[in-house]
Amino acid sequence: MIRYILTRLFRAMITIALVVTFAFVVLRLSGDPAVIILGPEAPPDAIAAFRKAWGLDQPVWVQYLDYFAAIFRGDLGISMRDGRPAIDLVMERIPATLALTLPALMLKLALGVPAGVYAALHQGTAFDRSVMIGAVFGFAIPSFVLALVLVLIFAVTLGWLPSGGRDTIWHAILPVLTLGAGGAAALARFTRSAMLEVLGRPYIRTASAKGLPWAAVVRGHALPNAAIPTVTLIGFLVGSLIAGAVVVESVFSWPGVGRLLVVAVANRDLAVVQCILLLVAATMVTSNLIVDFLYGALDPRLRHGATAGA
Amino acid sequence: MLISRRNALRLGTAAAGSLILPRFAIAQADRPSITIAVQKITNSNTLDVLREQSNVGERIFFGSIWEALIGRDLRGQLQPKPLLATEWKRIDDQTVELKLREGVKFHNGDEMTAEDVVFTFSRERMFADTEPKNRTTIKAFEAIPTPRPGKELPPEVPAVARRAWPDLARVDIVDKYTVRFVNATPDVTLEGRLLRYGSDIMSRRGWEEAASYLDWARKPVTTGPYKVEKFTPDTELLLVSHDDYWGGLPPLKSIRFVEVPEVASRVNGLLSGEYQFACDIPPDLIGEIEGNAGFEVQGGTILNHRLTVFDKNHAQLADARIRRAMTHAIDRQSIVDSLWAGRTQVPAGLQWPYYGDMFQADWTVPEFNPELAMSLVKEAGYKGDVIPYRLLNNYYTNQNATAQVLVEMWKAVGLNVQIESKENWAQIMEKGDTRAVRDWSNSAPFNDPVSSIVAQHGPNGQQQQIGEWTNAEMNELCLVLETSTDRPARAKAFRRMLEICEREDPAYTVLHQNATFTAKPKNIQWKAAPAFAMDFGPGNFAL
Repeated sequence: MIRYILTRLFRAMITIALVVTFAFVVLRLSGDPAVIILGPEAPPDAIAAFRKAWGLDQPVWVQYLDYFAAIFRGDLGISMRDGRPAIDLVMERIPATLALTLPALMLKLALGVPAGVYAALHQGTAFDRSVMIGAVFGFAIPSFVLALVLVLIFAVTLGWLPSGGRDTIWHAILPVLTLGAGGAAALARFTRSAMLEVLGRPYIRTASAKGLPWAAVVRGHALPNAAIPTVTLIGFLVGSLIAGAVVVESVFSWPGVGRLLVVAVANRDLAVVQCILLLVAATMVTSNLIVDFLYGALDPRLRHGATAGA
Repeated sequence: MLISRRNALRLGTAAAGSLILPRFAIAQADRPSITIAVQKITNSNTLDVLREQSNVGERIFFGSIWEALIGRDLRGQLQPKPLLATEWKRIDDQTVELKLREGVKFHNGDEMTAEDVVFTFSRERMFADTEPKNRTTIKAFEAIPTPRPGKELPPEVPAVARRAWPDLARVDIVDKYTVRFVNATPDVTLEGRLLRYGSDIMSRRGWEEAASYLDWARKPVTTGPYKVEKFTPDTELLLVSHDDYWGGLPPLKSIRFVEVPEVASRVNGLLSGEYQFACDIPPDLIGEIEGNAGFEVQGGTILNHRLTVFDKNHAQLADARIRRAMTHAIDRQSIVDSLWAGRTQVPAGLQWPYYGDMFQADWTVPEFNPELAMSLVKEAGYKGDVIPYRLLNNYYTNQNATAQVLVEMWKAVGLNVQIESKENWAQIMEKGDTRAVRDWSNSAPFNDPVSSIVAQHGPNGQQQQIGEWTNAEMNELCLVLETSTDRPARAKAFRRMLEICEREDPAYTVLHQNATFTAKPKNIQWKAAPAFAMDFGPGNFAL
């Protein structure tokens, strides 16, 4: 088991290193931060001074080695635009993002999983069809369109909710709804499919034939088996908690990590971009690891297989 | 129809129609407080006039936070007017003496004196170890300071300061309320430089008490009618009334600028009553907003012209006749009428009327003459090779639409111009075989052509520095404009520069004057300035 964990951790490190390298190369080769940050009317001598101060006049490979060496020293760099440590800037924004993505995740789970299970258990009924039509709409509609429609209805026309910003709890309602709708739709469809597949298995018929009440069959046999693919999707949703609200944060002027990422990429503020990518990659890798461990808990075959294999 | 964010907004506002009336959440117990939605608060994440050199910075700085010795009349046509100095006079060609306004209080309660003015133009705050070009003629007024840790100036600050004041040798204190600016060379533009962006006065004590440059730059202590209460970069800026403001009690208790990057969100917030002003409104949305009873869009032309810039080193553009053909192929008025709803204008070349006697009133942009353009193309022996046009995605208002119109106009006279989309300015300016045509805009920070045609297209300007264009005669004329005190000779030199840069050996061609639009409820009485700056001083806000 330890070997398994170490292997996964090593792979995670390689993944993160590749992400960081890719981002460095793409951002460095696609524009000089000095010109981007100081703007098109900046005097040439100001641009030259900026480039020298931030080491941008060095060859790209020297900048890359310096950057990587700093990461190993635990130094994620200074924001060229802000003059402060990149990690401080990112950490300041995380609470705002989690204030949206965590309630949105709860909403996705609270709506998506029960709707999917119920639709599967009542396949072909009006409820099933309604849930699936809603799910298709929820999944297909771009988040910025849904966001604007919600704003036009609830903020502009009815005046019930604010249209943007992060001043009160009311400001979070529309962005959370926007984020939650798409994820709930995906979860509903996924859960329904998984449940339908499980409900058609012989062991479900066997359990029913043994005389078990239908509710017990669903609770004891269908739900645990259908949970595995659903947990995979939930793992992805958890992994995207940090940077999964880029568009919604922009539309609702929500000062979270997503907006910081957009601004940092646009300005080629490499230290900030890298810091966010490291964080996102680490979150995604961690959530995937947890999902792997949950597989074992949910499916004894996997658990015993892993033990036998070890 | 494609459902873009803007189209979605249009559909929504049309559906809501005149049902939407202004819903005010303005606290009016004392004086009102307002919220203004802007696309960007600052680019540099600071409130330092020398670091934030941008239009968005101008909006929040002037009329609210920063003030210079000589101001621009934001309620007129930006003519120079006394601000922190009440009067000024020339001592000689190199020296201007100014009488400071007495009783001006900084945001920290200190009175502004000559010491603060001298400190504002000091090495510690402005110039660091940069030198005036001709400093050997005059001794320096102070030693180069060793800044405290954290108080070092960002490298671009001295560079910008020295660009604004290339030959300033020192500022002398005559008495508590009198200062003299001494230049190393004769310069007729000293008064102009005093009103330019970046020459604004700050409190010496405010600087010294700040723990670091960044701390100061996020809460500068100045003299404007509003002081910084809270600044969260990329998110919001809260200004509160400076009740001891020398010009009278400010009409607003507080002003909150919030960053709302999406135009649809800014408009929605305005219509729902969360914002009292929504800035950076594209011209094609003006009709939709004004279709709602109770709202209007204000604003108009600003001190900034949109240009198309040429790289004369490109194989197809080396022949000036091709560049001339491009200038004559453009129907500028049609661009103004169709893309700007007629709410801007085609200016008289790269100049502004506030140049005063330097303004060339009878100068015009090249006439729209497709026949002439076609004959120039033919004379040049152009074979239809591609002329690349590097384009940013709507950095400027209407940029993409204008580019598409230009390409069609050039095509109509036989020029094969093809758009290459780029992501940022570095890619636009990168030297190479595909650099030929690009967009730009030029401002005039003060009322003299030195601030624009010389600063942008002269030997030290960006266009020549990145190797796009040069002209020996133009460079000699720049020297005349920068150093001569003979005004008729300067005006003549400027005229010749326009002929070279816009007609004979085009470096650029002016398309139209830029404009900025701000939406607000009709029952707020406020007058937009002919600039990005938003004036909320005494007398310019009422409900």
